Amino acid sequence: MQQLIPAFGFGLITASILAIAAVGFTLQFSVTNILNLAYGDIMTACAFAAYLANHAGVNIWISLVVGALFGAVFSMLLNRLVYFGFVRRGTRLFGMIIVTIAVSLIIQNLLLAIFRPTFFTYEASQGPSYQLGSMVFTASQLAIMGIAVVAMVCVHLLLTQTQLGKAMRATATNPGLARSCGIPTDQVIDAAWLVSGALCGIAGVALVLNTATFSETTGAAFLVPIIASAVLGGIGQPYGAMLGALTIGIAGETAAALMSPAYKDVVAFVILIVVLLVRPQGILSEIAAAKEVAA
Amino acid sequence: MTDAMQFYISTLLIYLFIDIMGVLGLNLQFGVAGIINFAYIVFVGVGAYTAAVVSLGPDYPGNFQHYMFGASWPFPLPILAGGVAAGLLSLVVGVISLRRLRSDYQAMVMLVLSLIATLVASNATGLVNGPAGLATIPQPLYDQLGLNPLEYQWVYAGWCLFLTVLVFLFVRAITRSPLGRTLRAMRDNERAASAVGKNVTLLRLVIFVVGGVIAGISGAVFAEFIQAWSPGSWLYPETFVFLAAVLVGGAANNWGVILGTLLVPVGFLEATRFLPPIFYQGFIEAMQWVCVGLLILLFLWFRPNGIFPEKPGRFKPRATAQSRPAE
Amino acid sequence: MSDRLTTSKVGLSLAIAAVLVLAACGSSTQGAKPKTYTGTLTFASFNPFTGPDASFGPEMAAGCIPAANTINQAGGVLGHQVQCIAVDTRGDPADAVPAAQKMIASTENLVGMNGPSSDEALATVPIIDRAHLPMFADSGQAAFDKSTYKYFYRLTPPDDAAGVAMAIYAYNKGYRRGAAVFGNDLSSQGNVPNLLTAFAKLGGQIVINQTLTLDQSSYRTEVTALVAASPDVIFTEADPQTDAAYLSQLQQLHGLIPVIGTQPTVQPPWIKAVGGAVGRDALSKNFAAAQPFSTSQGPAWDVYNKALLAAGSEVPQPDQWSQDPYTETDYDAIIIMALAMLEAKTPDPSFYNALIPAVVGNATGATEVHSFKEGMDAIAAGKKINYVGAGGPIAFDEYQNSTGAFELIGYSTNGSNPQLAVVSAEDIAKLRR
Repeated sequence: MQQLIPAFGFGLITASILAIAAVGFTLQFSVTNILNLAYGDIMTACAFAAYLANHAGVNIWISLVVGALFGAVFSMLLNRLVYFGFVRRGTRLFGMIIVTIAVSLIIQNLLLAIFRPTFFTYEASQGPSYQLGSMVFTASQLAIMGIAVVAMVCVHLLLTQTQLGKAMRATATNPGLARSCGIPTDQVIDAAWLVSGALCGIAGVALVLNTATFSETTGAAFLVPIIASAVLGGIGQPYGAMLGALTIGIAGETAAALMSPAYKDVVAFVILIVVLLVRPQGILSEIAAAKEVAA
Repeated sequence: MTDAMQFYISTLLIYLFIDIMGVLGLNLQFGVAGIINFAYIVFVGVGAYTAAVVSLGPDYPGNFQHYMFGASWPFPLPILAGGVAAGLLSLVVGVISLRRLRSDYQAMVMLVLSLIATLVASNATGLVNGPAGLATIPQPLYDQLGLNPLEYQWVYAGWCLFLTVLVFLFVRAITRSPLGRTLRAMRDNERAASAVGKNVTLLRLVIFVVGGVIAGISGAVFAEFIQAWSPGSWLYPETFVFLAAVLVGGAANNWGVILGTLLVPVGFLEATRFLPPIFYQGFIEAMQWVCVGLLILLFLWFRPNGIFPEKPGRFKPRATAQSRPAE
Repeated sequence: MSDRLTTSKVGLSLAIAAVLVLAACGSSTQGAKPKTYTGTLTFASFNPFTGPDASFGPEMAAGCIPAANTINQAGGVLGHQVQCIAVDTRGDPADAVPAAQKMIASTENLVGMNGPSSDEALATVPIIDRAHLPMFADSGQAAFDKSTYKYFYRLTPPDDAAGVAMAIYAYNKGYRRGAAVFGNDLSSQGNVPNLLTAFAKLGGQIVINQTLTLDQSSYRTEVTALVAASPDVIFTEADPQTDAAYLSQLQQLHGLIPVIGTQPTVQPPWIKAVGGAVGRDALSKNFAAAQPFSTSQGPAWDVYNKALLAAGSEVPQPDQWSQDPYTETDYDAIIIMALAMLEAKTPDPSFYNALIPAVVGNATGATEVHSFKEGMDAIAAGKKINYVGAGGPIAFDEYQNSTGAFELIGYSTNGSNPQLAVVSAEDIAKLRR
């Protein structure tokens, strides 16, 4: 039992990374109605972008910015050049999921072909450790948690306080109506992919800082908890995703402390199933209900 | 033809027939009923494991592999057991996920299920021998038939062909029946179908279970042929190979998906074995998956309805020429 | 052959075995006369080149290629040049079965192979055996300890012997509280049962046994549980990313304690990942690994290493395999098969297979040889030979397994692996289940 409190602390680290990733993932769905299952692989691609910068002698935190920028631009272009083309040709939700999986296969295996099956490590120090009660954090973990909090606050401010955020929410709820009201939905969608892509990039680099080493499958392996968090919170709900990430992150670590660590992901999945049985639309769900009509 | 070549060709035929069975089951779920089952390969895996454990005999201490529920059921019970086990699992999964979930939720739940199933099979070593999987699964009637291995292999290919024809006729009957028409209607417009009084959820559940049974049977026949089965044989990307076959061939068109199977899992993945290694070992393999991804994208872009689209009248000879660059 | 029949009992029993093989062949399509071969003979490296165990294949190919080169430099086998091909099993039985069938059906002059690995052995060994193709497996499965397949050979010990070697070494170093931290993959889990029983039999205690789900982002909770159990040594094998995350998180939260790994933990990808995560200094201070004993010196190893380093155009970074016992035995396997062909006067596997034990049989009076060239000259001079390989002396038991001692090696910062201790085959046999 005395492992429970430290496990809670470790859960916070996982939850922070998860929250950044899940909010980006869910934002893509809410604004563009695309479940981007290539998300994990884009995280990996961003981690590689940051790796290249890092090994060219750039500080790891600046490399993180490089990863975020890469993620933003890559995601925006991916939507413009691939996803949106399919949407315009009338590919429905079903088809779009398959398109994103095809993109996932392509990204992951291109990374494999380019970087080969081996493992990569950033040139970064974890910094000194700090004791908070019975929880221990390194400086870089505290930084990751700080970044997560800042990112969440920024997303909140963006969605509630800015013109762009309002336009995003309007587009998310009803794109047709938004367009007739004079909202330039195409630009709004581009902006949504830029923002979510940046979150994806930050999450990718933060994930690798946490795992110490990475390969071409690292991001994809993280997709399960991301999806679980997003679905748990009610897909398309940024605040729900934050809540979902916290639940999944902490539940996984505490479950590992209480029972076999082999079933960390299984526990997350059981939580997901139970919540879906009780409340199929997820914890928070106003947009989701409206979306069903559109889908 | 040399014996070795006959072994190879009969193996490919057996793989083809088994894959066709699997793809027909997936097509029923996806093409006809519109259910995105990203966990399809799990049901294949369950059928395979079930057939294995009920034919391996009881487990004993000191055995090199450990598993649940060992028995020595005679042919054809293991295959039926594989179908039943996969059907039961489909029922449980279907009741949970098809009941009230939206299709996008369903898709994601299935994907997660596929990943979790691999984790459970690998970690719970007492269940189906963990990551090592099961081996020395007896081939059905091998001793009774008294054939030499090559003859047996051809008999097995004939047996797979027979099963595949059965599955094909069965799936075609469902597709053509009023049930099939209702299913397609609800796939295209669920709300309208439910508005005219069709119990959409129940119908989808029925089809989901039927598809699961077919998957289980194909897995059982597969495991009995290769005599081994491990978590590496049913990782989640395998579902996408099947899905690609459905899309390439033409969703909801049973002849189309047979062509799709010929092209994707058998033709495409097998042909790459003949490529000379370039750059380094593993490069071809990685690029092969890139090509599967591109193939899916190209088909969805240029021929979203596959080579043989659903409605017979829409097929034009030009289609073959158009699809060639993607092959 | 008749002159050898009278020379020794070994020769006689071999001849009987050969007759039995010939009798077995008589019923199949292969005739009682050796096939005639024209052109280059082919050896296959039948192993995973992609998938989770993608590192196995290159390790194996790195043994075949230098062996083929030394054979060709000596003028080839019976006038034939030899070559190596790679056959990718993709690391699972479902893909390996057609890969084996395709290899057997469409490879011209295929006369022998290295492999299969544990990933695909149980499904493919019967197929390969039926095709009368001699195979030198790198599978570590205990299921092959008493193999009755005529064409199956194994020069490396079973995986579970490594567990015993780890336990003995740890006990001798004075460790009494062991922690078993293994990945949930096939090759890692193979070590665990014998490690647990052997360490307990010796008088140690396994204070915690963790099975890791691979490639998680955090193992901190597992690490906390480990620290709470206060072990004085960690036994581990997991894929590079998993061990790197686990051990670096242990380093952060508690500091490293001594770690004993297995052969996969001395492979380059593992050293790169874990060394990158915990630092090369920490690696050299705290880590040891048990691997099949190979002298990595002596005349046969010199020939091997020279040929390996000269194969730089075909084998990337050849020096990484210089001391790898698997690569060494893969090299030896090719040499042994080629020498058996010389003895049989044909590359036809149905004929030379039965003579494979004869080229390593160290019967009295046999000439010790250390390379294909030496063996060829000795055979031409009418002598019986005993090939002592790059991986050390070889002696097949009645199941055609040749297993020997283990060695414990360390990690130095300059990339070499100094030997720390040797655990004898007898000690291992006593504690194996």
